[in-house]
Amino acid sequence: MKQTTRYGPPRVASSTTSTVANQTGSWKYIRPFYQDKIAPCNAACPVGIDIEAYIALIREGRWQGARELLLQENPLPAITGRVCDHPCEQACNRSQFDAAVSIHAVERVIGDMILQTPPARANSTSTHTIAVVGSGPAGLACAYHLVKLGHDVIVIEAAAEPGGMLRLGIPEFRLPRRILDQQIEWLEALGVCFRTNTELGTDIAWEDLSKFDAVFLATGAHSGRMIGIDEEDGPTFMSGLDFLKAVNVGQRPSIGREILVIGGGNTAIDCARTVLRLGADPLVVYRRTRNEMPAIEQEIREAESEGVRFQFLSAPVSVRHGESGTRGLNCIRMELGPVDASGRRRPVPVTGSEFTIASDTIIKAIGETSQLDYLPVALEREGTSLIVGGLGETNIHTVFAGGDMTEDTRSVAFALGAGKRGAIGIDRLLRPGRRQPDELAVEQLKFADGNVSMARWMSSDPVARAAPVNRVVSFDELNVNHFRHLARNEDRTTMMEENQGSFQEVNPGLTSEDAITEAGRCFNCGVCNGCELCLILCPDIAISRGTGEERFIIDMAHCKGCGICVEECPRGAMAMTREGL
Amino acid sequence: MSQTMIKHEIPRKEFLSPGHLACPGCGGSIAMRTVLKGLGEDTMVVLPACCWSIIAGPWPQSSLKVPLYHTAFETGGAVASGIKAALEVRGNHETTVMAWAGDGGTFDIGLQALSGAAERNEDIIYCCYDNEAYMNTGVQRSSSTPAGAWTTTTPSDHPESHPKKDILSIIAAHRVPYAATASVAYPQDLLQKVRRAKSIRGTKFIHILSPCPPGWKHPDESTVDLARQAVQSRLFPLVEVENGQTWRFTMDHEGYPIAPYIKAQGRFRQLSNQQIEDIQQQINERWTVWENRVKYGT
Repeated sequence: MKQTTRYGPPRVASSTTSTVANQTGSWKYIRPFYQDKIAPCNAACPVGIDIEAYIALIREGRWQGARELLLQENPLPAITGRVCDHPCEQACNRSQFDAAVSIHAVERVIGDMILQTPPARANSTSTHTIAVVGSGPAGLACAYHLVKLGHDVIVIEAAAEPGGMLRLGIPEFRLPRRILDQQIEWLEALGVCFRTNTELGTDIAWEDLSKFDAVFLATGAHSGRMIGIDEEDGPTFMSGLDFLKAVNVGQRPSIGREILVIGGGNTAIDCARTVLRLGADPLVVYRRTRNEMPAIEQEIREAESEGVRFQFLSAPVSVRHGESGTRGLNCIRMELGPVDASGRRRPVPVTGSEFTIASDTIIKAIGETSQLDYLPVALEREGTSLIVGGLGETNIHTVFAGGDMTEDTRSVAFALGAGKRGAIGIDRLLRPGRRQPDELAVEQLKFADGNVSMARWMSSDPVARAAPVNRVVSFDELNVNHFRHLARNEDRTTMMEENQGSFQEVNPGLTSEDAITEAGRCFNCGVCNGCELCLILCPDIAISRGTGEERFIIDMAHCKGCGICVEECPRGAMAMTREGL
Repeated sequence: MSQTMIKHEIPRKEFLSPGHLACPGCGGSIAMRTVLKGLGEDTMVVLPACCWSIIAGPWPQSSLKVPLYHTAFETGGAVASGIKAALEVRGNHETTVMAWAGDGGTFDIGLQALSGAAERNEDIIYCCYDNEAYMNTGVQRSSSTPAGAWTTTTPSDHPESHPKKDILSIIAAHRVPYAATASVAYPQDLLQKVRRAKSIRGTKFIHILSPCPPGWKHPDESTVDLARQAVQSRLFPLVEVENGQTWRFTMDHEGYPIAPYIKAQGRFRQLSNQQIEDIQQQINERWTVWENRVKYGT
């Protein structure tokens, strides 16, 4: 047989298929999965805002989405952006890296933007009408959420204008009246009705409220606490809140030159800074040290820079009688003893350390209590606070309450959160079909141990979540190697000289460009933002982009379970589980 | 933004198939995946004996979507030169030829072929994915194994006593147009170097640190973290050198302590704190050399 000669290269073994057919995924005993967790800011927010999500939208320049997300939970972002003591920033994981994200400043920029355009009127979809008594932050929040939920709401306010403590208790230089007025108009445009100059117990009787399907009480706390010394109801004494109210409605009370402000909270700082603007000389007397002051740190710093003086570790003992009436206060030095129930060190008087401070007026800013005389005795209370449940329920079926008249922390943010809880409580009462009974547990509506989420109540979370767990993601679960240090966009504070005698807003806020940069500092703790590091670093090409709801798909036939994706995820949005579970 | 979104810099097209036979958490696989993204479709790979001889898959499979030529251990540089010459003869001046060798095939067995190719300034890219021992055959020491490390041929009683060979300086001394170090923890840096290499004619050398979970005895998920720590601690600085003369850092090196890197790996378990301190000392001294090179050249 004739042999044909072959030319060309010698025959070699040559591959014809790829390795895709190999089920190398069968090697693994643990597998990765995407698991969204709760960012610490969300859990710390007393209002219950999905901060992480709206910050993520701002970073992408999606202002409209960010506005909607923020408004879903917080009716007054322009106000909280200014006056909230932002516990979110204390909880921010970034503070363990360089400095917390300036969440309040970003919120304020969105809030001011929201006020530029009036909202569309909310659709009334329910036959129920609810009375909200009090138009402070708790009342406003409850009314806002109820209107958005489709109910009709009437807000009853004793004062001439709505706003409650926002109008009367917070000085103009922290919250300009212009902003508050715009906010109220905005709420009216949405469909909230206000009935001012109507005081419960005087202009309207408790029984009159029975014609409403439900009532939300939020009348606040207005009576100044007493120091417990003789003659403190005398003419040289004034309650801090009364002083602020007077100045806020345009009066200029004659207080003299030397003013003592007793207390260490925000009211005390606000009083001292107001006194300064009236041209007098304030001295804040506080029985502990600066570290224990409950006031917002930034406000204390600003007060100091404006020239407010402080007398720490001192407590009033008695009124000093000079030759012409009372001209001062006898005080005693304190020292810090063991830690008390509030978690701060208890001040203890030092025997024989009495001293005197001269003063024309003494402003007592040591807290307020609520007056509940006008309420029926059947409403359960503890001391001067109403007792309420997780959604603002009192012991009377259709009556809900929140804010400073309950035992909640006294701040604008907590009041807004209580208003939201009350709105959900009332909605649950009036429209039991909104959610299935087994989904009604309050715990399921909360951001971890934080406040309830309206998005969860409405089952309308706009953010796609992968296997979410209701647990806060800690700093240790992040991989901060993927982040660069970036300076925080600090608030710009106007100079002290310019503030003298002026009630102009001290803090002009950030520009929208700065807000985007600041949002770019957010870690997006616990929530996937599609950075694709998991996909890029996978040795087995087992992660691909998904479509629609699923951002990424893990190819379990080829994932060998090495866990690099979970380890490298910058934000703790992945986890490992045992194979077969 | 405070997180660099590297996804915008990484090409989406894949030239490596899943189902390859690398161990879980293999640094060498991340290295290959990233390098091929930088080189693109018009690439031929020459593979002397190494882990990747297995990872590429048994006949008739290939996990690479570009042509791949398996060859003998010592021949990476020579075969790559030959394939490039054959392409040139056929008028193809475009296709990139890349030799892909482990540290054994680069530092020890293939050094003469690599040196020859570099001396002739063959137009090839030579990548060494360095896992610091003969991992494929069961962890025997190579001249890339760092001092103090356990391998099966340098057991814990007598761990590796010689320092890691400075392969980058050896190649740079050939005055090749481009040589660089890279780490699988910095894919964007690696990609930039690959693209740079592709754009230059002549011999290009890229030395990629590729942690190996079974050989280094660390958890599978720590691969990228260790590759990053090696850079951050200045143990394995990311540099590039042009014509053997102009040295440049391509990354900030924080200078974090080396101890966490050492302690995360079972192969260093026998080291005392004093010995770790000595390693730190050596890194510090060596860093001055690097800095001087960058400052003054060689």
